[in-house]
Amino acid sequence: MFLFVALSAALVFSILYTISIGSADIPVESVFGILKDHLFQKDREREAGIWTMPFFQIVWNIRLPRVLFAALCGAGLAICGVVMQALVVNPIADPYLLGISSGASAGASFALLMPLPFFAGQNQTTIMAFIGAVFSAFVVYYMAKKAGGGRLQPITLLLSGTAVNAVMSAVTSYLIFRAKSPESIAAVYNWQMGSIASAQWKTLFLPAVGISLGAVTITFCAGKFNLIMMGDDDAAAMGLRVTWFRSIMFLLSSLMVASLVSVTGVIGFVGLVVPHVARLLAGTSDNRVIIPLSAMLGSIYLTWADALARSAFGAVELPLGIITAFVGAPFFLFLMIKNGYGGSGK
Amino acid sequence: MIVSYENIHVILGGKKILNGVSILAEEGRITGIIGPNGCGKSTLVKTTFGICPYTQGDIMLNQESIKRYSPKKLASRIGYVGQDVACAFDFSVFDVVSMGLYARADKSRAAKEVVEEALEELQIAQFRDRNILSLSGGERKMVFIARTMVQNTGILILDEPTNHLDIRHQLFLLEFLRKSGKTILIVLHDLRLAAHYCDKIYLLCEGQVAAEGNPLEAMSRDQINRVFGISGNAFANQEGQRDFSLF
Repeated sequence: MFLFVALSAALVFSILYTISIGSADIPVESVFGILKDHLFQKDREREAGIWTMPFFQIVWNIRLPRVLFAALCGAGLAICGVVMQALVVNPIADPYLLGISSGASAGASFALLMPLPFFAGQNQTTIMAFIGAVFSAFVVYYMAKKAGGGRLQPITLLLSGTAVNAVMSAVTSYLIFRAKSPESIAAVYNWQMGSIASAQWKTLFLPAVGISLGAVTITFCAGKFNLIMMGDDDAAAMGLRVTWFRSIMFLLSSLMVASLVSVTGVIGFVGLVVPHVARLLAGTSDNRVIIPLSAMLGSIYLTWADALARSAFGAVELPLGIITAFVGAPFFLFLMIKNGYGGSGK
Repeated sequence: MIVSYENIHVILGGKKILNGVSILAEEGRITGIIGPNGCGKSTLVKTTFGICPYTQGDIMLNQESIKRYSPKKLASRIGYVGQDVACAFDFSVFDVVSMGLYARADKSRAAKEVVEEALEELQIAQFRDRNILSLSGGERKMVFIARTMVQNTGILILDEPTNHLDIRHQLFLLEFLRKSGKTILIVLHDLRLAAHYCDKIYLLCEGQVAAEGNPLEAMSRDQINRVFGISGNAFANQEGQRDFSLF
């Protein structure tokens, strides 16, 4: 309980504080003043000289949607990490394991290197990445089910995911190989390293609704995820409709990840590591605890990672995927060694 | 509650594993399945929850096909513990035993109380907060059996439950099962334990029932020699207790 209260406070603080971080230096009290005035329809803080209109533009229209989107992405990826690890009964699984990221990359590469005449620009990249991700997920699902004789088993899911990953990566490589302009090739590499710089109020609503609904559904099924994590035989013996549950949750989490990755590009490491950090902190794998805990940790982690991405090198933004791996991996190793893992703990 | 397997056929990877096996586990009694490695003992019990699908035959629970039961309803009637005690995630023992609550039909008692009681019954309360990965194979087996106690089923199907257990815990477990009054279907490799604790024995060989009856009938010298290729037989000692002698 203490952990939940502490993390909730940390999440609120992180969201509010990281709004002040960026190439334009905005004091924290100005951020609070803007949010207070705007939310309560007052102008008291501005009249007191706490903030100015340019600050308002940056805070309300640029940074707040971005920070909220970072929190949303962090929560979504972390929850989908928990789901994927449970569905394939494998602690080293992540949301991208089953071909979703490579499918999205192939779709995005197609849009960036061979743009279609309609939906030009960022929209086309997002739509094509989403189509690529969903297509990959469905191919993995279909192949895994076919190979399993109608049953969706962890091993066939993993093998199908590996195969589809390889094919989709090859498609991306081929598109890059055929590309003429170095700028568009650089755009593909940038997209693959992940960024949430494009977040705006208008692009926030749909993923927010989708991810929230998915997260609530997954949290509601936390007990069933516990059963499936004991293995298929045990889960079936405890009364779970294993193939049905795995299919539904696989498709749900695939849609969630596809909706995120199509907007942000590939932000690695969050979905893999955050669930483990949650387990280390909570001292259990009980998903009734781990799913909400991972959502909060993922949100906190990505809001700070994005703050670092937009502030570390002045006006030049660092790709988010670089930071999530650079900061997350050593921290995870530290926790793993300090707390003990895989039975060496309590 | 009774469970019967009627003319079960199983084909796995193109190979016929079970060829018309019929077994009846009677109310409140311990029914043992014995036989050499690969004869289909585990495959048979795995058909119960569809872990191994059968191609022919049916499984009846109180004269009604289990196909009529939803997985959750079936798990509220039959508890199952397989051979495998592997675990990929570090749940606490309390968490694992609590999972039995998912299918438990009787919701009248507090969940925590039910779990604590199962831990006490199986004498593993001292492991309550331990990480399941830190336990030995035998200790994990006891945890999984405690989970079926929480499931509160009338029937228990146990695949080699004495594996990984030391002799004291083997005897404790089988005595516990005998006193539980549940219908027990148990796969055993230890012929002494099978002879002593089982009310009825099915001797399986190459996917078929080679012999059935009380241990003295089903584990006669001829049957044991025919199926295992060794000398040995079940017998009753002077106190009337059944045992098994080798050679």
